[in-house]
Amino acid sequence: MASVAYRGTVVSTESNRWARHVVQVLGNLQDLVLGLSETESAYHDYIVSGSPSYLESYRASLIKVTTDEAALREATADNPGQAATLTGLATRISEQIGFDETVINLRSATGLDAAATTIRGDTNPRTIVAIEAAVTKMRDEESRLFAMQNEDATRRSHEASAGLIIGTVLEVLIIAAAGWRVHRASSRRHLAEEALRESEMQWRMLVHEVQDYAICMLDLNGQIVTWNEGAERITGYAAAEIIRRNFSCFYGTEDKQKGLPANILRTAIADGRYEGQGTWVRKDGSRFIANVTVTALHDRSGNLQGFSEITRDLSKTEASAAKYRGLLEAAPDAMVVVNEGGAIVLLNVEAERQFGYPRDELLGQQVKNIIPEGFAERLISDGTRSTAEALAQQIGTGIELYGRRKSGGHFPIEIMLSPLESTEGVLITAAIRDISVRKAAEKHLLQMEKRYRGLLEAAPDAMVVVNQAGDVILLNVQAEKQFGYSRDELLGQPVKNIIPEGFAERLIADGLRSAEDASAQQIGMGIELIGRSKTGGNFPIEIMLSPLESTDGILVTSAIRDITTRKRAEAQLLQKVEELNRSNRELEQFAYIASHDLREPLRMVASFMQLLSRRYKGKLDSDADEFIAYAVDGVDRMERLIQDLLSYSRVGAKKGILYETSSELALLQALTNLSNAIHAADAEVTHDPLPSVFGDEVQLTQLFQNLVGNAIKYQNRGTPRVHISVAKSEPGRWTFSIKDNGLGIEPQYFEKIFGMFQRLHRRDEFSGTGIGLAICKRIVERHGGNISVESCPGQGSTFRFALAEGMTTS
Amino acid sequence: MSISDEAKMTRQVLLVEDSPGDVRLTQEAFREARRSVQVHVASDGLEAMAFLRRDGTYTNAPRPDLILLDLNLPKMDGREVLARIKGDDRFKTIPTVILTTSESEADIMQSYQLQANCYLSKPVQLESFERLISSINDFWLTMVKLPHQKQDANEAALKGE
Repeated sequence: MASVAYRGTVVSTESNRWARHVVQVLGNLQDLVLGLSETESAYHDYIVSGSPSYLESYRASLIKVTTDEAALREATADNPGQAATLTGLATRISEQIGFDETVINLRSATGLDAAATTIRGDTNPRTIVAIEAAVTKMRDEESRLFAMQNEDATRRSHEASAGLIIGTVLEVLIIAAAGWRVHRASSRRHLAEEALRESEMQWRMLVHEVQDYAICMLDLNGQIVTWNEGAERITGYAAAEIIRRNFSCFYGTEDKQKGLPANILRTAIADGRYEGQGTWVRKDGSRFIANVTVTALHDRSGNLQGFSEITRDLSKTEASAAKYRGLLEAAPDAMVVVNEGGAIVLLNVEAERQFGYPRDELLGQQVKNIIPEGFAERLISDGTRSTAEALAQQIGTGIELYGRRKSGGHFPIEIMLSPLESTEGVLITAAIRDISVRKAAEKHLLQMEKRYRGLLEAAPDAMVVVNQAGDVILLNVQAEKQFGYSRDELLGQPVKNIIPEGFAERLIADGLRSAEDASAQQIGMGIELIGRSKTGGNFPIEIMLSPLESTDGILVTSAIRDITTRKRAEAQLLQKVEELNRSNRELEQFAYIASHDLREPLRMVASFMQLLSRRYKGKLDSDADEFIAYAVDGVDRMERLIQDLLSYSRVGAKKGILYETSSELALLQALTNLSNAIHAADAEVTHDPLPSVFGDEVQLTQLFQNLVGNAIKYQNRGTPRVHISVAKSEPGRWTFSIKDNGLGIEPQYFEKIFGMFQRLHRRDEFSGTGIGLAICKRIVERHGGNISVESCPGQGSTFRFALAEGMTTS
Repeated sequence: MSISDEAKMTRQVLLVEDSPGDVRLTQEAFREARRSVQVHVASDGLEAMAFLRRDGTYTNAPRPDLILLDLNLPKMDGREVLARIKGDDRFKTIPTVILTTSESEADIMQSYQLQANCYLSKPVQLESFERLISSINDFWLTMVKLPHQKQDANEAALKGE
């Protein structure tokens, strides 16, 4: 470890080999504990999340632990007692790691449930607590050695104020750590948190270790929230006895009557800090003179969070000065004490490490050399203010500045200042923290957020991001427009305000599922809900949810589309289809009724014309005979027309189911019906064996009848020849061909002939209604096929249509 | 009575038909087919029932040997007339032939369900129509053996009509 070299150099010029050794061991111990804590933290994060990145950090921490352990072993090799404790500690650690590995393997192989079961079932006494106990034991031993060895140095020291200085340094440290802790609560940024977690761990260790200071945190009302060993030693109260009690219990009746405890808090709130001496009452009733410092703690927004209280038993101060020097060294932050002239008078190992200077090179140097800007200016301004003012201003708010390394490189720092009046004048203690990692993380997050926001704004739909509590935390311009609210009116508001139902419920349901489940289920699946605009109007929306894991927990991104237009179009389409269906039904009904009712009067005309013709032919003049002939002919044609219309409308009206039908039987029936015509024309009709198809037998008969009938009818002279063949055009379909040797059709009429009332010949050439092929087309279409013709004038025609194959093929 | 005597005997036909043209055509066609048919005409359903029941002016109406019934009639349509005839013991043995222009499946089905003796649709062509009437005469008025009129009436009387 590179910093080991610096650790060799100790606090002051009085340092000797022993002190160096002790500080190194303490540093190694701290590294080891830190490494273990990181390992455990990464282990837990992996078990809970299953994310491989945590596994990576777990492995990295594990290597660090091994290195730290080796370094510690080397440092304590000369002390058999420490070496034995370390061996015990190493065993505990390897057991713990062994167990962690088992759980990790379970987690990756079978998932969270199996891992959780194993963790719950773990009854082995080996715990992190046991490890901590061993660490404490080693640390105490080193501290004892340190105190012993340092006694001499302390005695020889002219620094009567050293204890005071170091005590104040400690105070700054505590306040700084508390401030950062508050800061942490307000910032949930993950990466920055990692660094903070380390400091907090170290801070806890420090506070816990302090024997001569009662250090506790008070809530807003003065109730005790935390308690350290020093507090127990000084006051005689154990933590369990005192936590949640008001700190006024340390004061005598007279003080309480005067309202001193309340005044102390008031002063701390008003001035930021209270410092004074008073008489404290121990648990056993005995009293002692105490130096009490109460400091108000604020979060970044300036809200009062509580107080820190540090009490010194004034009689003990001097004796423990040496120990605090050790604590200064152990501080997680770089600590630098500067005099009014801006010269550095004291610093710790971490300061050496951060700035890259050996201690000797920094002592007596101007602080401007390592913090070029902001610090010196602050010294001057602070010099003109009272200590209390300066602190009030700075507590909980680290100042962000730049530090300069010996190598010339700059790095961002956060700095906490505390003025201290000493016999050497006003000294400024600075706790300095390297925040490069946090800065980088913040920058990265900011970029991500910008990018995400850019995406959000670019989206064509309204986008609203909602947290698990159902509050809107992000939205885009489209969302503002769609719901008629301005951004500020929606941010932080319940999403229920704009989507009254279905959304919040879904959040809850999603909370019970994993993000993967939820996204797998919902992607591409729009949910139709109702949106409510600011004006109170409801409109149909389609929303797509997608969970988004963020540092603030699972957020739900929802794309919201106003589907009013689509809904309306759908409704209109549905209405149009319904109208069309009705109109089609009416038309068919009309055609049927019309053709049916037309026959009635037609029969009268036909019958009496024929009667007239029969009875009076030759009895009237030749004109009369001719007129009657035209009338009779007209009636004939009209009758056929009506008959065909009736057939045509029946094809549509009869929405029957198609059955398996023999197409050959249908053809034979058609040929039977046509037998007169076939005989009259002396036609030759031949056919292949025909298959079974899905169809309506009556309609198929009519289809063949019309097509074969046409083939015989539209002929010049000679023998009409018609052949019906079949072929499989595609799987599951038969294509029928009716080929004749008749007149043929010119290509421009191929389409036209299938239309209603379309005829290609004069009446005196061929009679017909022009409905026959329209009927054929309708029948084929009702069977899900289409009909076409291929022909060349003078060379006959081939009509083709396809039908679905039946079950049994022939 | 010999078969030839029977054949010469005048047959009574009740034609229920509202179209005078059809009435005339039917009469003409019967005249072509057989001289000895007497065609009685009822121009709506009510008249037809009155004729059968010998109500009012029909007191002396003969019991018809055959009823030719059109379906689409004013006042009481052919379907109801058919239902009443076939639901009445006095008349249900009289052969009732539906003679109509309708070719609707529904009409055909319903008529047979109401016990029509047969369903014929009127052809447009005069010759076809004449052939149809001639067939009716040959079959229903000549070949078919019907229960004796009096016996039939007596049976009805026994049932308390």
